[in-house]
Amino acid sequence: MKRPRSSRSRKRKTFDWRRLSGWAVKLGLVALVALAGVCIYLDAVVQEKFSGKRWTIPAKVYARPLELFNGVKLSRDDFLTELDALGYRREKTVDGPGSVSVGASTVELNTRGFQFYEGVEPARAIRVRFAGGTVSGVSALDGSNLAVARLEPLMIGGIYPAHNEDRILIKLDQAPPHLVDGLVAVEDREFWHHHGVSPKSIARAVWVNATSGQVRQGGSTLTQQLVKNFYLTNERSITRKGTEALMALLLELHYSKQEILEAYLNEVFLGQDGSRAIHGFGLAAQYFFGQPFSELKLHQVALLVGLVKGPSYYNPRRYPERAMARRNLVLDLMAEQGVVSATEAEAAKARPLGITKAGSLTNSSFPAFVDLVKRQLKQDYRDEDLTEEGLRIFTSFDPILQTKAEAAMAEALKRIDGRKGAENVESAMVVTNPETGEVQALLGGRDPRFAGYNRALDAVRQVGSLIKPAVYLTALERPSKYTLTTLIQDEPFSVKGADGQVWRPQNYEHKAHGTIFLYQGLAHSYNLSTARLGLDLGLPEVLKTVERLGVSRALPPYPATLLGAGALTPMEVATMYQTLANGGFNTPLRSIRSVLDANGEPLKRYPFQIEQRFDTGAIYLVQYAMQRVMREGTGRSVYNQIPTSVNLAGKTGTTNDSRDSWFSGFSQDLLAVVWLGRDDNGKTPLTGATGALQVWSNFMRRADPVSLDMPVPDNITQAWVDATTGRGTDPSCPNAVQMPYIRGSEPPAGASCGAPAAPATGGNGNSGSPVMDWVKGWLN
Amino acid sequence: MTKAVWPVMIAGVLLAGCAAPQRGAIPVVDSGGPVSNGELYRQGNNRPLPAQRQAPVAAAPSAPADAGVTVMVPGGSSAPLETYAAPAASAPLITSSSPGTPPAQAPVQPSYSQPVYPPATQGAAAASSAPTGIPSASTSTGGGLAADEQLDGPVLALLTTAQQQQGGGDLNGASSSLERAMRIAPREPQVLYRLAQVRLAQNDPAQGEQLARRALTYANGRPALQASLWQLIAQAREAQGDASGAALARQKAQVGT
Repeated sequence: MKRPRSSRSRKRKTFDWRRLSGWAVKLGLVALVALAGVCIYLDAVVQEKFSGKRWTIPAKVYARPLELFNGVKLSRDDFLTELDALGYRREKTVDGPGSVSVGASTVELNTRGFQFYEGVEPARAIRVRFAGGTVSGVSALDGSNLAVARLEPLMIGGIYPAHNEDRILIKLDQAPPHLVDGLVAVEDREFWHHHGVSPKSIARAVWVNATSGQVRQGGSTLTQQLVKNFYLTNERSITRKGTEALMALLLELHYSKQEILEAYLNEVFLGQDGSRAIHGFGLAAQYFFGQPFSELKLHQVALLVGLVKGPSYYNPRRYPERAMARRNLVLDLMAEQGVVSATEAEAAKARPLGITKAGSLTNSSFPAFVDLVKRQLKQDYRDEDLTEEGLRIFTSFDPILQTKAEAAMAEALKRIDGRKGAENVESAMVVTNPETGEVQALLGGRDPRFAGYNRALDAVRQVGSLIKPAVYLTALERPSKYTLTTLIQDEPFSVKGADGQVWRPQNYEHKAHGTIFLYQGLAHSYNLSTARLGLDLGLPEVLKTVERLGVSRALPPYPATLLGAGALTPMEVATMYQTLANGGFNTPLRSIRSVLDANGEPLKRYPFQIEQRFDTGAIYLVQYAMQRVMREGTGRSVYNQIPTSVNLAGKTGTTNDSRDSWFSGFSQDLLAVVWLGRDDNGKTPLTGATGALQVWSNFMRRADPVSLDMPVPDNITQAWVDATTGRGTDPSCPNAVQMPYIRGSEPPAGASCGAPAAPATGGNGNSGSPVMDWVKGWLN
Repeated sequence: MTKAVWPVMIAGVLLAGCAAPQRGAIPVVDSGGPVSNGELYRQGNNRPLPAQRQAPVAAAPSAPADAGVTVMVPGGSSAPLETYAAPAASAPLITSSSPGTPPAQAPVQPSYSQPVYPPATQGAAAASSAPTGIPSASTSTGGGLAADEQLDGPVLALLTTAQQQQGGGDLNGASSSLERAMRIAPREPQVLYRLAQVRLAQNDPAQGEQLARRALTYANGRPALQASLWQLIAQAREAQGDASGAALARQKAQVGT
């Protein structure tokens, strides 16, 4: 109904109205177009990230899986240590994967399955019986026969990109009971019904906050939270909220609730581990409880759900009371909304938090070994492959041996620290399996947790007497000239080099020992006799032996190298002694067994390789001499800690002014190299025997080695010789001992002595040579 | 009014485009996941694993006395090598964990003294009544085999698996299984022998020869096994073009130390 207007005001009003509405329409159009444009852009963003490869997953490094079978060397305590590290729950009876029931000499458990390179190892309920330090029986709990069972391998580290995000990806069907319902109940009640944004939740939140006077509820849906974490930053502004809402709507348009939920479970931030962000429930389950996501119980589920609201504020390790209160609140909410019954909730509230002590994941637990793995991988893969593609790397690492090595190192160093001049000496250790060539433990320094200078791989140090077995091996390869009982001279000499310099070697105590048997030069680590022998053989020959043993680093071609002036890393020493321990067969030291890709498809194997470098007979003789090192030579203190029934072979190494203290030795199943010294090459008061050997003996005592027992090669024969003269004799004669020789090089047998004649040199052994006295002392 | 229709329609069309249903598969993939009892692990694409990738058999033959695995020697000697399942109360494993038996000086054991045997249907109990003429000497087990000649459960199971894998053309898998057997029993020459065969099949005759040589160092007192190993070395040398070396190896195979 039109009102009467004055002509002027009428005109202005009409004009303003129409113009205003015209502008409004135009602005509205522009806004719509802009909104449409924003929508298209956001839509592209949402889809691109959600559908493409969503997360870059770091590579995971696994230790060797523990193999269980009748007869394997494994003590019950070591077994339990491994189970604890794997997060097995101690229960009265076995109740599903991940549970173990411990008896005095029997352990029952349900293993978790695992997918290896070779295929799937199914989860099994088994019983393991122990007798002494060995497994005496493995059987399935259901009574069926079982030849061998494998535990899942312990994850010992990963290869992380710079941004240090880490995840264990989980699928929705792996979720433990009550997790999804609990999460929805606590964080987003309308999740299954809304379309991304829930006005009902917002309204409820406004109501609750207004009535309680404090901010107690957020109105964000899980979808919005996912968008915030996934695409946006944390800033709180209107525009960000608006974008978030839009993107949530778009996400719900394209993807199902299950997909969104699964992404949420893998994306939500739940804690900080040093520089590493813990994203996703999979990793959080491991980080807080040391267990796989699917095994979580109600009280654990409630704790994690509670963490969503404030991972730092409710951090259970730093604020256990807050965490407990929050968890119990979550349990109450769950009971309130019918996710669990009241009794279940009460039972869960009564349980302790259950957080594992280990604060840090095994990211940095074994840095030296993971470093070795990385180096070997870098030869085959680019950095991006390693840090992004979710590779699974199976190694030969043995956590039980590593723990023993670390304990031995710590204990021995503590004693050594007490000595004047020996404080804060640094160290390195390599442990391998001599028969398979696999690296089992690695220590890069005194502090095994520290990821720094990896001395085991990088410290190039003079090896001292460790080189000597190469000299003696070179000699024993020439049986027509040298046997173990060849008489050699341990007398001073000097030799002039090509540059005119005179080299005059000395024995450790500046004492000459006169005429000795060849093996004694090695057993007692005499310098004079070894240097003479080496020069007689020819330095190039000895250097060639070192190379054939597997050392690729070139050593200086000077006589002083015969006594160890050349420098090697502990790893290179291990390679060299590996060939000696393995019957003359060289195997390149390996730490990786196989690699799977993120889909579980086999990617690469590192196969076992072997090459015979030496005659087994010559190696047998050198091993014999190296056993004498331990029985009567510089290594004999080892039998203060190891039973004498265990045969061991080894060599001490000491450099000038004791700047380096080495020991390298092996049993049938273990080879270990220990180095002690200062990074600045300063002096120490430690010899190979008083330093490195103490660490080595301590380790062997813990590791229970199998006695060395090399099969006698076809070309070896035993002959009776006179212990004082080395001449062939008869078993009926006094001073007769059996020694091994390469067939054809043994001294001819002597005449039978029949009646006990008066011994040639007298029973009290005053034969004029102190060495011969020692030899006779050996008979006693 | 009409002016407003167009932008609204355009906006509507655009928004409808945004809402076009596109269901993308979310690539949440993770391998190495836990496997529940009795189930094969299902991978991200929801396809079950092929049966032959199952890890080595869990159960030893239920009647150990009946099981025998005949290890055939390819193209050469007609004598199959025989391995026997361990008796139920089996001796400790073959390697150095048995302190009582020094394998280096073990007397020549009965079963390998003849080049040809009947296929194995008897177990360890029957082995002692096999016609060898040599009394079963100082062995600690009930059977006539030395401790280091029995193949205990795990090694036997893995050798069997390896044989199946090799038969199915999965040489990588066979190699894996044999290396696993080697870790369990590092001094068992039969494992090294089989691994040498796999290397030959993988066109790596150099490694085949080296593995056979290593096996020989452990095969003291087992002339039939030694003969088979020399045959393999001969084959490997042929493949490497070393005819004279191959002839030498064949000679050693005949002599049978």
